[in-house]
Amino acid sequence: METYKIYSITSVVLFAIGLGGLFLAKHFLRKIIATIIMGGGVFLCLVSFADRDSLSYADPVPHALVITGIVVAVTAAAFALSLARRIHKFSGEETFTDEK
Amino acid sequence: MIKELLIVLLLLAGCFFFLAGTLGLLRFPDLFSRLHALTNADNLGLGFIAAGMALYIASPWTSVKIFLIWILTLLSSATSSYLIARFQRGQDKSKNRREE
Amino acid sequence: MDILIDILLALLSVYLAFRCMLAPKLSKAVFVFFAFGLTLALAWIRLGAVDVAIAEAAIASGFMGVLLLDSLRDFSLTFSKNHNVIEVKPNNSVEVKNRSELFPKIGLGIGLLLFLLISLEAVWNIPEGGGLTALAGSKISESGVEHPVTAVLLNYRAYDTWLEIGVILMGLLAIFAAGGIKQYRKAGITPSQDPILRQAILIFIPVLFLFGAFLLYFGKMGPGGAFQAAVMWGAIGILLHLGGWPVFTEIPRRLRLLMLTAGLGFFLFLGLIFMTTGGALFEYPPAYAGLLILMIETFGAVSIAAALTAIFAFLTK
Repeated sequence: METYKIYSITSVVLFAIGLGGLFLAKHFLRKIIATIIMGGGVFLCLVSFADRDSLSYADPVPHALVITGIVVAVTAAAFALSLARRIHKFSGEETFTDEK
Repeated sequence: MIKELLIVLLLLAGCFFFLAGTLGLLRFPDLFSRLHALTNADNLGLGFIAAGMALYIASPWTSVKIFLIWILTLLSSATSSYLIARFQRGQDKSKNRREE
Repeated sequence: MDILIDILLALLSVYLAFRCMLAPKLSKAVFVFFAFGLTLALAWIRLGAVDVAIAEAAIASGFMGVLLLDSLRDFSLTFSKNHNVIEVKPNNSVEVKNRSELFPKIGLGIGLLLFLLISLEAVWNIPEGGGLTALAGSKISESGVEHPVTAVLLNYRAYDTWLEIGVILMGLLAIFAAGGIKQYRKAGITPSQDPILRQAILIFIPVLFLFGAFLLYFGKMGPGGAFQAAVMWGAIGILLHLGGWPVFTEIPRRLRLLMLTAGLGFFLFLGLIFMTTGGALFEYPPAYAGLLILMIETFGAVSIAAALTAIFAFLTK
């Protein structure tokens, strides 16, 4: 089994964990972490196929996409964090659920 | 041959100290003794591994770089464990005051 | 032997992701998240993507972890995942609620399982594409740099990178808008008078600056470049804020705005110059490409570092 296959399978599992966490987790912070894990899965998928297509060096295009993607994902997550803290500050809520 | 034996011994010693530090982190009762185990044992373990790697690579400039990495790690782990301990001590103090 | 390390890393990352979602304490989830990021960084080194590993360890694990850790102060530290549904009401309402919650969860589980199977099949049988490796390598002598990733980032797909710097700026603006800009003005943290922390920060700052500059320059021929350098320089700003010198909020407003927009502006300025001389938007003349790319990277790194510092300074009130 080649290296890239191990990691591409891992990437799918990570994405599924993130997706499940996004739906099932209640707390804002946990939802944000779940989206970052999903993003990590997507990046891992891209980079593992870059490794498959390598000649003397790995395919640089997915690498460049992933580097920019990481920075953008973190910026978006920081925005989500600021929104979550704002909601918490005004309403005292930590989840989206209605039940009390 | 003797050099390889020395490298293996250094790496094994490093792994042993890491193992001991992790065991201390998991088994010690309170935060201060855990920090003690973690910083002491892990820094020593990292030192052994760095020495082993420097011997393995056997290039003077790379050895200097590895040594610098070790020094920086020492500095940052000492500072951060000091900060964690200070935070915990502040918490303990305020808790005691509240109980009085 | 190699494959053992790969399998171990893969299992470890999946396990840590699970722990992140299922850890009973929120603080534990955040600390596990740090470890998860570092595991991914190791996986990327195994896949030969050293640039990505640096970016992951520094930004996605380090910077994001710091932001999450800081927001733990807002939320209660001991939030439990299973704290709902415990209601002490008469007539079996607890049971009914449990059952009504169970069905969507089962449906979701089946859906996730199907999704997992389908995407596993897709990943397993993905057709051979060949990728763009050979194409990216064939033009490397004209791109002005020797490292293919930097060539893709700042020459072949420069348009993409330019817009991406813009996206970071947009994110910062959105954070300002969500929080109100007034708080940003007085966002200084209470000065920490701790002598040990201050001394350690003073030792780290020159090292970080030097390492950032090295990464910036080394991006020409190896792993490194604007984004990695930007994180190192951004860490300087964050450390200064933590040590009680809120320099970034203290400097004049115009200078701050200039730092934030320098990358985007200089990039666009160069592109427009190329257009007026008859080329496409980011079509560098090959003779000067190396120098121009280094200049763009420097300005870009300064403004990304400033944006990261601003995000930190703003989010930690």
